[in-house]
Amino acid sequence: MRKIWALNTAALLTVGFCLMSAPALAADIAAGQARAEACQACHGAQGISENPEIPSLAGQQDKFLQWQLVFFRSGRRANEIMGPMAADLTDEDVRNLGAYFASLPAGPPPASEVDPALLQAGEVLAEQHRCAACHTDTFGGKQAAPAIAHQHRDYLVKALADYRSGARPSTGVAAMTEAASGLSDSDIAALAQFLAAYR
Amino acid sequence: MKLRAVLQYTSILAPAALTLGLLSSPAQAADMKSYDSSKQSFWQHPPPDWFLGDETADMKGLAPPSGPATPTPLAELQDNLKKVKLPAGFKIEVYASGLPEARQMAWGDNGTLFVGSYNATNVYAVTDVDGKRSVKTILKGLNMPTGLAVRDGALYVIAIDKLLRYDNVEANLDHMPAPTVAYDDMPPYVAHGWKYIVTDKTGSMYLPFGPPFNVGIPPTSVSQVRRVDPKTGLAEIMALGVRNSVGGDIDPRSGDYWFTENARDWMSDDIPSDKLNHITKIGQHFGYPYCHQGDMPDPKFARGHTCDEFTPPVVKLGAHVAPLGMKFYTGSQFPAEYQNNIFIAEHGSWNRHKYQGARIDRVVVDADGKNAHQEVFAQGWLTGDQDYAGRPTDILQAKDGSLLVADDWAGAIYRISYAK
Repeated sequence: MRKIWALNTAALLTVGFCLMSAPALAADIAAGQARAEACQACHGAQGISENPEIPSLAGQQDKFLQWQLVFFRSGRRANEIMGPMAADLTDEDVRNLGAYFASLPAGPPPASEVDPALLQAGEVLAEQHRCAACHTDTFGGKQAAPAIAHQHRDYLVKALADYRSGARPSTGVAAMTEAASGLSDSDIAALAQFLAAYR
Repeated sequence: MKLRAVLQYTSILAPAALTLGLLSSPAQAADMKSYDSSKQSFWQHPPPDWFLGDETADMKGLAPPSGPATPTPLAELQDNLKKVKLPAGFKIEVYASGLPEARQMAWGDNGTLFVGSYNATNVYAVTDVDGKRSVKTILKGLNMPTGLAVRDGALYVIAIDKLLRYDNVEANLDHMPAPTVAYDDMPPYVAHGWKYIVTDKTGSMYLPFGPPFNVGIPPTSVSQVRRVDPKTGLAEIMALGVRNSVGGDIDPRSGDYWFTENARDWMSDDIPSDKLNHITKIGQHFGYPYCHQGDMPDPKFARGHTCDEFTPPVVKLGAHVAPLGMKFYTGSQFPAEYQNNIFIAEHGSWNRHKYQGARIDRVVVDADGKNAHQEVFAQGWLTGDQDYAGRPTDILQAKDGSLLVADDWAGAIYRISYAK
């Protein structure tokens, strides 16, 4: 597995290099920033959300962000706030917004009380359910698999519950629908604690 | 080994943690993914990650990559095509962009290009008015409408278990008529249930039926190729023992049906090989699940059969290259030696550490399957060990003898042409 991740990292670096060598083709971060003004009220001025039920977007994986906007736009991920917000986005907006939020520096673990027993249980569960296989060893994500470290606990609980119930679509051949299908409420609480406080 | 590590770790945790259900399924932690696909319950309610069953230690963790969320913009497509290598005299350009998850293509009688899609649920129409090309989504919400065909002015779309007919389609692109169900004696399994349509000169349609898992003894309604008369709904089983086939064509020399076939996963990076097959007799058995690539008994499902009981492939195309749409070339634009050659769109790997495929293959072969020779015709869409700039899904010949290529990763159609 280590070897595979190393290969993937190499692949990502190659892609990054190509984009840098052809700036005219890259998504427009400045245009993304302008379009993102509407996002700030909930997701924070720098993409770091203060509201525990709303995810931070700073430093999130570009491809993941784009897929979520496309899911909101089409209604496949139903949300009464994000549905209308995404309804009028063009493909270009989606690419620019993804690039903009991915370019922002990710925040530290959100300040909240840590339950050590719950955290340890979460660590074991993360190993059992092989979260790192897609989300990488540091849970920083890769491609369409999002960064899951340092999100708010409440939001992580909601996200996992939504995958479990099928309320939220998963990329990667339904990887998350499957991964979450066997989780109990207490599993979800433990995983959320572990990932929110991950260091 | 890993299981023991987890259990040791568990034992040092606070007792509170043990009440969280940690030990409810301890074996899952270290085991490979494997599913009992032998039961009907699996086919009717496959797990969401049914692709990922039957892991081995070596192949652990491989999974289909997620493509871009939006179709690749024109400027980026043009840049990608600069990296595509073709034989001397050939060039490739963007024909149309903005078609998410583009799959099979078919021409309307008046020059409309129809394009199916995968999860996007759409059917597109590309029209060309005075040299100005535009893309329209004419159907939405269909169940994996990968395959389509045009016959007698009607568009046929296959959506898993329904063959739908839209009459007088080119006059109705802006207000598509309600479809008529032309044939629906098909099982509802979505896993490997997406299809391809090849129409023969009588108007009958060859339809592939994939098994709803990686490998196993399939339901009797699948793992076959049928020939369906859409006018009467009568169907014949033309071939058995077929895994996932999403491409084929009629040989203009013989009238025989040839088809591509994706071999099973999770054996290794390099076996078994995907196949190019040729039906020479009604009801031939091509080996699945007993025998792969014509000469490799399945380690679990051979069940006493030997490979000489089955029809071998004409060409072994390579492991995990994922051959999809194919066409015999009958145009006059390409040099004479290309006449009746087969062009195959290779979608490329996911179940392999270093992807291969994502290219157009050229097969030169006699009508009787002899003297087969294959070579790469177009490549350059692989951008790393596990990433793509594009993934070819289908080939279609244009009136002028150029070739169109559909790409479901970039959501685009390309045109390959030749000039001396």
